[in-house]
Amino acid sequence: MDALVGTYALNLLYQCALLALVALGLAIVFGQLGIMNMAHGEFLMLGAYAMVVVQRAGLPLWTGVLLAGVACALLGAVVERILIRPLVSRPFDTLLATWGLGILLRKSVEAGFGRGYQSIDHGWTGTLQVAGAPYPAYRLGLMAAIAIALGALAWWYRRSPAGARVQAMVSNPGLAEAMGLNTRRLALGAFVVGCVCAGVAGALLAPLVRIEPAMGMDWLLASFFVLVVGGLGSLGGLLAGAALIGGTQVAVASALDATAGSVAVLLLAILFLWRRPHGLVARP
Amino acid sequence: MKALNFEGLGGGYGDTQVLRGVSASVAPGEVLGVIGRNGVGKTTLLRLLGGTLQAMTGTVRLGDLCLDGWPAHRRQHAGLATMPQERLVFDPLTVRENLTLHRADRSLARYAALFELFPRLHERLALPAGRLSGGEKKLVAFARTLADAAPVTLLDEPSEGVQPENLQRMAACIDTRRQAGAAFVIVEQNLNFLLPLLQQVLVLDHGEVVRAGSAGPADREVLVQHLRV
Amino acid sequence: MAWWRGPDVWLPWCLLAAALVAVPVLGDDYLAYQLGLYLLYGLVTQGIALTWGRCGFLPLGQALFFGLGAYVSGAVLKGSEHQALWWAAWPLAVLGPAVLAWALARVLFARRFESGPFFSLITLALGMLGFQIASQWSSVTGGFNGLGGIPDLPGLDRYARLYWLIVGVVLLATAAWVALDRLPIGTLWRATAEQENRLQFFGFATDRLKALAFGLSGALGGLAGALYAPHQGLVTPPVMGFQLSAELVIWAAVGGRSSPYGALLGAVGIGWLSATLRQEFVYWEVIVALLFIAVVLRFPGGAVSLAAPLWRRLARRSASPRAVPAPTRPGPRDDEVLVFEGVRVVQHGVTILDGLDLRVATRGVHGLIGPNGAGKTSTFNALTARLPLAAGRIRWCGEDLAGLTADAIARRGVGRKFQIPSIFPALTVAEHLRIATWAQRAHGMDLLRMRTQHWRTPLRDAVEAELPFLVEASGRPAGELSQGQRQMLELVLTLLPEPRLLLLDEPCAGLSTHETAQQLALIATAVARLQTTALLIEHDFSAVERLATQVHVLHQGRLLASGTLAQLQADAAVQAVYAGGRK
Repeated sequence: MDALVGTYALNLLYQCALLALVALGLAIVFGQLGIMNMAHGEFLMLGAYAMVVVQRAGLPLWTGVLLAGVACALLGAVVERILIRPLVSRPFDTLLATWGLGILLRKSVEAGFGRGYQSIDHGWTGTLQVAGAPYPAYRLGLMAAIAIALGALAWWYRRSPAGARVQAMVSNPGLAEAMGLNTRRLALGAFVVGCVCAGVAGALLAPLVRIEPAMGMDWLLASFFVLVVGGLGSLGGLLAGAALIGGTQVAVASALDATAGSVAVLLLAILFLWRRPHGLVARP
Repeated sequence: MKALNFEGLGGGYGDTQVLRGVSASVAPGEVLGVIGRNGVGKTTLLRLLGGTLQAMTGTVRLGDLCLDGWPAHRRQHAGLATMPQERLVFDPLTVRENLTLHRADRSLARYAALFELFPRLHERLALPAGRLSGGEKKLVAFARTLADAAPVTLLDEPSEGVQPENLQRMAACIDTRRQAGAAFVIVEQNLNFLLPLLQQVLVLDHGEVVRAGSAGPADREVLVQHLRV
Repeated sequence: MAWWRGPDVWLPWCLLAAALVAVPVLGDDYLAYQLGLYLLYGLVTQGIALTWGRCGFLPLGQALFFGLGAYVSGAVLKGSEHQALWWAAWPLAVLGPAVLAWALARVLFARRFESGPFFSLITLALGMLGFQIASQWSSVTGGFNGLGGIPDLPGLDRYARLYWLIVGVVLLATAAWVALDRLPIGTLWRATAEQENRLQFFGFATDRLKALAFGLSGALGGLAGALYAPHQGLVTPPVMGFQLSAELVIWAAVGGRSSPYGALLGAVGIGWLSATLRQEFVYWEVIVALLFIAVVLRFPGGAVSLAAPLWRRLARRSASPRAVPAPTRPGPRDDEVLVFEGVRVVQHGVTILDGLDLRVATRGVHGLIGPNGAGKTSTFNALTARLPLAAGRIRWCGEDLAGLTADAIARRGVGRKFQIPSIFPALTVAEHLRIATWAQRAHGMDLLRMRTQHWRTPLRDAVEAELPFLVEASGRPAGELSQGQRQMLELVLTLLPEPRLLLLDEPCAGLSTHETAQQLALIATAVARLQTTALLIEHDFSAVERLATQVHVLHQGRLLASGTLAQLQADAAVQAVYAGGRK
């Protein structure tokens, strides 16, 4: 019985950690910069396909994570210049343009790799004994990595000079400019970091999910819901959102079925959008 | 030290032109006071000079540099420091971060003299700036702007909300820097604060200049008329 | 003048009818069969054009309604083979999606004044959910294999006769789309897309307008789905899927999102082309995606906008001489008193209004003055539900305004003129005046009658006489007016609904001396004529002097003094606040 509870709790933690990882990139791009990047899921998908590419080339899998980061950084920089910057005062058009970008990326990958599923064999099929039951080691490793990454990013944002500048730009862009901070460059940097986070998340996720060109959509929606429910603009919001969405999904899915879980999450998101659009954790 | 001069400066928001054909010249060691009732375009003028707003007409020169089309951060690097009227600090960051984040060296050394004048600032270094009172925020912004030691400094209503004893110290600060050769453009409603400091005045009404030229405390009566109900 | 008059209205429709009729006649039945499918998709796309192109909000899961209609229709047709009673349920295929869409929009748009990208997200999620349910709920939907063996509609075999029904429906829907566009509701929809905030201040419940548009688009989707089932004979989950939803939006964008013909062009043109090219040319869809991005960035009107100049030439319309008197508005009442009791407003930690006590009980113009940051515009914002109250009460005509939305407050006779002219740039000046005439006069069915377009009031005649540019520029988009003209137009828009409380926020901002004089004269005349109460925020004291009988001075969020201008000029406390020093 204890083992069951333990496994259940770990599964819950695992789902929430995944959500936090996936939503992190969007928390930066949408939560901080206010850019509704509808192609967020596709950056994730590209990261997953980077692993496929690396596997096909026979290279060690960690290079896939590197490839994902670099590719998404370059793509993110180009996208920021061509699509995001010109539409900076028109949020609706940004939504449309990034949505079009998502379609473009999806169709390009379809053309290149076909619509079928791919998968990654990582060979880390070992398990560890946790709370009296075996649990896949990769999942545990991933959860630990996510916790460390979030902690590191939060520390960097709060303590480092660059982090302070980004915070300044987000809280008062006019003053930041007047004080000599190049806000355009800061915005570009932050956007690229958000895209890299999405790509790396996709690469880390790749061994665990079915990889196909349309995989990004579910993650896009999940990320937006996490931010809407949790609150934009803070790490606490990201965690709160991941916990609530993940918790709801897992609880309802185990009581009923997976579809019911999705319905519950959707209803929760609609409720928050309607009644409490700023989410649980207010912007600092 | 550089001088600031602008000619035929005009601009506004969207399609609305709020300021028309404003010209003036500020030499090193001079303070130009800009006065006028609300809504006449004083803040717009400073925004046009500082680069936060792009001008529709006219040019701005800093020394022999033409600043037209330059974004605000570039003008700051060229030697133009700005203290805006509203939204003066970064609320989520501490006072210390507010004072140091825009400089490569994160040191508070250049604030030594200012901390002596305004000890409250030093006491509140670790506090998030959003928790300060309005007057204290003004002091933080004032200190940050003056510590830049820029050749030309633009101040938008620096005295608003500041307590009288601090006002005197702010005036002393400005005057010291002015004597060291810096130039200032100060928008003010408070003539008691402004008049002892200025050498030149620019009076605006409905977006245009109605009086310009040298001025001093003796011109108080005339200038008050421009502000009256 | 009926809505169909004008070659720009009936000519494209006739061309469309001719082209659709020509296909089976000049081509063959199989061609017509294939075209029929894309006409049905075009029908759904027309729904997207209505919400997106006209109303300004984008649904990303429209296939949900199409799929719902298809499944219901399929189930009904299959059931009707055994039991004729099933037929009674067929209208559900259209009504179900329509009601669902309407209800969703009402819930999501309540209490907001922007359409929000969040709406798009929710519709996207709903579409995906629909697909999931359709795939999983095998007992009802047949799961992945779907509903097969759907019979034809009686008497309309799918390879020949059904095409004519589809053509009829498409022509009818197109005509209805164009009709609604020409009726008052079409103007209101376009105004919602341009400047929803302003439209609310006229007293229009914009969430209901948008819900109506979305409900209609749901109906179109359901109708198309209902015909899809007998057309294809098979309904599978992708009919509700994300892929189709995405394609519908692309077709609307590339074809022309603001036109029913554009929607059809997009669906038939790109859709049909994609179906053939998709297999052969693997990069075709990448090209379409690039086309979509190009449209978003550069050609928001889509393909149809290329024919816009031609359209405009056809649209020469003579000014209709017929005038219809509009319903009258209520006159002055005895209890028109505005009271602020201890009002506190806090925003971002700053106390903007700090215990404001103000009583405005006499008619005429009351000046509201005070230095920057005194809280003058915030007073208006608190009054019109744009700022929440932390404490205190605001009463108008004895009624507490707490909890009312901006449009509800406007309907109680409160009119607001914004400092920065907030007009609808793409609408013509004449349309602006019409909207202002309809404000709080037009209800329900009035918006669906052409007659309402010709409403006139005596005040409007008087205003047009004083400001001739309103007549000269009546056919031009308001975005082309000069700054001064826009300020004056904005004032006229605030006056035409004949409000009982007029809030004027710096009505002369940015005006030349001559224009200021005109503006002030207009205010004076209107206030006298309507016997209304007006609050005037102004920095230009000559204006205050000219118009205001009473003046109130605000300072640091509180009322400092009230009286005539002369009294205040003699008041030392007031002068100190202005000339500096006393903070």
